[in-house]
Amino acid sequence: MSATIPNSERVRLTGIRKRYNTGDTAVEALRGVSLNVAAGELVALTGPSGSGKSTLLNICGLIDHQDEGERFLAGTAINGMAEAQLTRLRREKVGFVFQNFNLVPVMNVHDNVEYPLLLLGVPAQERHERVRQALARVGIEQFARRLPDALSGGQRQRVAIARALIKVPYLVIADEPTANLDSVTAAQIVDLLRQLASEQGSAVVVATHDHRMADHCDRVVQLVDGEMR
Amino acid sequence: MKWLLFAWKNVLRNRRRALLALLIIAVGTAAGLIGGGFALFTYESLAEMTARDTGHVVVAHSAYFGDDEDLPMKNGLSGAGKLTEKFAEMPGVRAVVPRLHFSGLISNGDKSSIFVGTGVDPETEFRLRGPQMTFVSGEVLSSPAPSVPEVVIGNELARQMKAKPGSSLTLLATTTEGNLNAVDVTVKGIISVGVPDIDKRLVLTALPAAQKLLLTDKVSTLSLYLKDTSQTDATLALVKTAEPQLAAKTWLDLAVFYQSVKELYNRIFGILGAIMVVIILFAMINTLGMAVVERTREIGTLRAIGSQPGEIVRNFVLEGLVIGGGGAVLGMLMALAITVFLMFANLQMPPPPGRSTGYALLINYSTPLYLGAALTVLLVSGIAAWLVSVKAARKPITEALAHV
Repeated sequence: MSATIPNSERVRLTGIRKRYNTGDTAVEALRGVSLNVAAGELVALTGPSGSGKSTLLNICGLIDHQDEGERFLAGTAINGMAEAQLTRLRREKVGFVFQNFNLVPVMNVHDNVEYPLLLLGVPAQERHERVRQALARVGIEQFARRLPDALSGGQRQRVAIARALIKVPYLVIADEPTANLDSVTAAQIVDLLRQLASEQGSAVVVATHDHRMADHCDRVVQLVDGEMR
Repeated sequence: MKWLLFAWKNVLRNRRRALLALLIIAVGTAAGLIGGGFALFTYESLAEMTARDTGHVVVAHSAYFGDDEDLPMKNGLSGAGKLTEKFAEMPGVRAVVPRLHFSGLISNGDKSSIFVGTGVDPETEFRLRGPQMTFVSGEVLSSPAPSVPEVVIGNELARQMKAKPGSSLTLLATTTEGNLNAVDVTVKGIISVGVPDIDKRLVLTALPAAQKLLLTDKVSTLSLYLKDTSQTDATLALVKTAEPQLAAKTWLDLAVFYQSVKELYNRIFGILGAIMVVIILFAMINTLGMAVVERTREIGTLRAIGSQPGEIVRNFVLEGLVIGGGGAVLGMLMALAITVFLMFANLQMPPPPGRSTGYALLINYSTPLYLGAALTVLLVSGIAAWLVSVKAARKPITEALAHV
């Protein structure tokens, strides 16, 4: 199966369906969604609340399961993988940027960015150098020893982006990354994501309500009632 | 090391809560160590008291420990002199003490009372049992024995007999032939062993005087006192090999009181220890449980970026070990400080049931006890951390990330 997928293709979702049971009622969050994202491509998922953006993003980022359909990450079939295997794949190949930054408050900027490399068992010397470079690329190396609480929203999101990209992932999942930022900072974050995705060849999938963000993406996928429009 | 540092930083997130848990663990550990140390002190004191009383190894006629005697000294030991010389040459033997146990009536001419007597070798007996006997008045028995036999009697018996050092009393006992025999004695000293029931019956006299009263050349037992109590079993084996026709028992076999106290204390302090463990477990579950709930979203984040559930649990277990380890160290220091304080404070415990004298309140230090307590606290802390974090670490990531 993987042989048929182009090398540049990072994510392939085919006929994804997801249903939630709330009491006696079943809500269909995704109805046969298919999506391909190539290396270096920045794709925006837009749509009203409840349209299935976050569900699709979670399935794409391997932190949720579809009921039907197939997923591939860099040519590897995901269906049927055990939880531990999925975790290993996320550890090695998927980066996350959250709306609320989700930094670990007791870790300083350096340690937050270093965390994924610790999980990968990268030697200390190399970790330190890669963290320094990552912080320099997102423009916050002077804040390396600061705790997240001592940073502005934009700075925290830069830390989160550095944490997502430090392992050079195949895929970056960004859930409303500009929602809590002012327009100037939001534009900077979009540019940064775009630039890093392009440089590293990572596919970036962004869920957003923000038209300014969507306008800067390579492709916009609109979801309405769990279907692509 | 990095993970330990991470755990340390997480512990410091809520300092007040962590400090409270740490103090609970410290107090629990200290209480356990103080209780355990007191029990060890009691065991050691009782063991020493018993060994001083009976000797480490007691050798007697083969029927002595099992059968009742129809006539006095029927199960007595002959040839005590040679046996004494033989046992004294065994390695680690400090002294061999002959004893002749007998009983009868003691009278001051106006009044008679029952006595329980022991014929002893004055030179060794008072030296070896010295700390157990408090001289109320008078002195130890003369050696060699004077023409008029001397006795040292219990203070309660002296009070009944209205006797004091220099008083004349008469001992009346059944001889080995079944007849009654009497001997006049002089009170040389009045002692207390701290047990009123013994003090009102106790008579010690020189071995030749007791043998003369009972018309025998036998002794009841030979007590072997060792330089090191730990050599007891080895010496017992030597004795049994050297004199297989004789019966021999260790102080532990004869220490019914020691065994029962040890069993009682083991249960009391065992229950106390179990309660401490439960308190520590609850304190840790409470502290880390709250931390887990507060950090559910963080757990989801760490899981999303690639931490396995086991790695999340490991982080919380390390936090538990940091708090537990800190509490254990503080508790050990507290227990050590109290142990040292009691060494100098000279605090007295009230007399135990059946005794007339109290004893110094002391706590023994024991490295195995301290290590055991520390390991138990660490184990309990680790288990508590595992219990509270394992479910959260396996929670679906999307649920954890949505946690408010």
